[in-house]
Amino acid sequence: MSVIAINNLAKYFSLPKKGKGGKPGPMNGKMGPMGIIRAVDNISFEVKKGEIFGFLGPNGAGKTTTIRMMTGVLRPTKGNVSIFGHDVWKNQILVKQITGNVPEEANVYFDLTGLQNLMFIGEIYGVPKKTRLNRAESLLKKFELYEKRNLKSMRYSKGMKQRLLLCMALMSNPKILFLDEPTSGLDVQSARIIKQLIREYNEKGVTIFLTTHDMEVANELCHRIAIINHGKIISLDTPQNLKALTQEYKAIDFYFTNGADKAKIKDLSSVREVQEVSGGFHLIVEDIHEGICEIVDFIKQNHLIIKQLNTHQPKLEDAFLKIIERGDKN
Amino acid sequence: MIKINKEFILSKESRFSTFKTQLKRSFIITKKDLRIYYNKPPVLIQGIFFPIILFFAFTIGRSISPIYLISGIIAMVLFLTSTSLGPIIFPWETIRGTFERLTTCPVSIKTILIGSIWSSFIYGLLFSSIPLVLGVIFLSSGLAINYFLIIAGMILSSLVFSSFSLIISSPPIRNPGNTMILQIFIKFPLLFISPLFMPINSIATAVISPITYCLDVLNIGLGEVSAFGSFGLLIDILVLIGLGFGFLFLAFAIHQKTLEKRFR
Repeated sequence: MSVIAINNLAKYFSLPKKGKGGKPGPMNGKMGPMGIIRAVDNISFEVKKGEIFGFLGPNGAGKTTTIRMMTGVLRPTKGNVSIFGHDVWKNQILVKQITGNVPEEANVYFDLTGLQNLMFIGEIYGVPKKTRLNRAESLLKKFELYEKRNLKSMRYSKGMKQRLLLCMALMSNPKILFLDEPTSGLDVQSARIIKQLIREYNEKGVTIFLTTHDMEVANELCHRIAIINHGKIISLDTPQNLKALTQEYKAIDFYFTNGADKAKIKDLSSVREVQEVSGGFHLIVEDIHEGICEIVDFIKQNHLIIKQLNTHQPKLEDAFLKIIERGDKN
Repeated sequence: MIKINKEFILSKESRFSTFKTQLKRSFIITKKDLRIYYNKPPVLIQGIFFPIILFFAFTIGRSISPIYLISGIIAMVLFLTSTSLGPIIFPWETIRGTFERLTTCPVSIKTILIGSIWSSFIYGLLFSSIPLVLGVIFLSSGLAINYFLIIAGMILSSLVFSSFSLIISSPPIRNPGNTMILQIFIKFPLLFISPLFMPINSIATAVISPITYCLDVLNIGLGEVSAFGSFGLLIDILVLIGLGFGFLFLAFAIHQKTLEKRFR
């Protein structure tokens, strides 16, 4: 069941006149024929209920513009976004009431304390005072900010501010959470807390739309991933299926206590490439299972003593780069 | 076309209920603005000392009529304080990223603007009461003061000037310092064409300045005859109301148009 539907969504920005402001805007989108930048160019997809949907793309690909149209901040040039069947631009207040947002360039109010920031957002969303306070305190505890709740947020670290922003997004108990680069530039501890809580809220039924540059985060958290480049969706699938596109990255590393013949290893049927590394070999194989079986037979036949054996599955990062490269060629 | 199964229908509020909710939320934004931007020692000190310094600067050693002196200082302080911080808040919030955070909340741009009006209004009214008090203490002997009219005039004028400040804040400037240039080119010429500390009819261009109508109401409240004839007070009130709504709707339209540019 879909909760978000994007139908032929497009956003075009007109180019600033030459000589004013240097570059023609922040978007790396396609130049249209009429002096416009197609930041988002007729994209359609849907997000299912209870899903963590990843939205990946290089800088300037159109991720933030898309998320801004999905959250009612920018008006689409063409097409529409609907949430629970309601057009976002036409029913902004209604839709914003049930969604929570952490925009990429957003910030907390530096002159307010952590608790005051949450109380302000709760009040704007119409959360009753008692519930507001209870919820704010509970979120601050959950995000490990409770001890610093009365400290002005200008004194928070970047990771703490990002956690506070996520708390602010959760103050209204949203049904859908939009997170634009939530772990970008964070320390390990903050990133881990945020990842854990994204997973936890998703398990409670919150649908999450997540843009990130962190492939590990996308791989760990997302049920499905869309890749956008030059304003167009160039791939949409599960992380497993996306990774399957990069077969050449299936690799096995093995290390021996005694030497082995590189030429003989190269003759193994599943091995495509052999690289000699200190004390062992790095093999690119057709299939991990077949490769391991052959190596085990090879070890037995040659009376080798194995020290270590590692397998390398294809990474999402490799898949992402390959998809982007393929898209650029096309 | 992707079809969606509606899990639940979001209930739409009636227009009146939406208006009530948004009005309430505009007060929440006001509270936030007052706490973050107005409740700062430098701002408060300036708000208190600026009218006091102006009052004594124009009073000592000058032979200006007490009526024009009191009305002139009140009008000037009202105009300058009501339009002082509003234009800075928008670029300030844009550059800090809090403006985008606010626009993703369930409030319309109109609600955000009205919230900004209330805070400018409170600030302007509060500090323009200082010259009123000083005027009553030092210059009121022999004047038949209509306090109700003066306070009503100050409230109405403060709302008009606060709405006017929204127009100054509408260009999508990211640097708060740049609004100062706009303020200088818009606010000071308005002060120059207004009949401050003199009879209204002595400046021909006075009719195009909103400050003039504020001055006329204050002058009437201090016992002077209106410069616009026997229906002068009515004209002042109607013009101020008209200008207030005019500025407000113009600000709504311009801000709606420039909103996207704040995020580029």
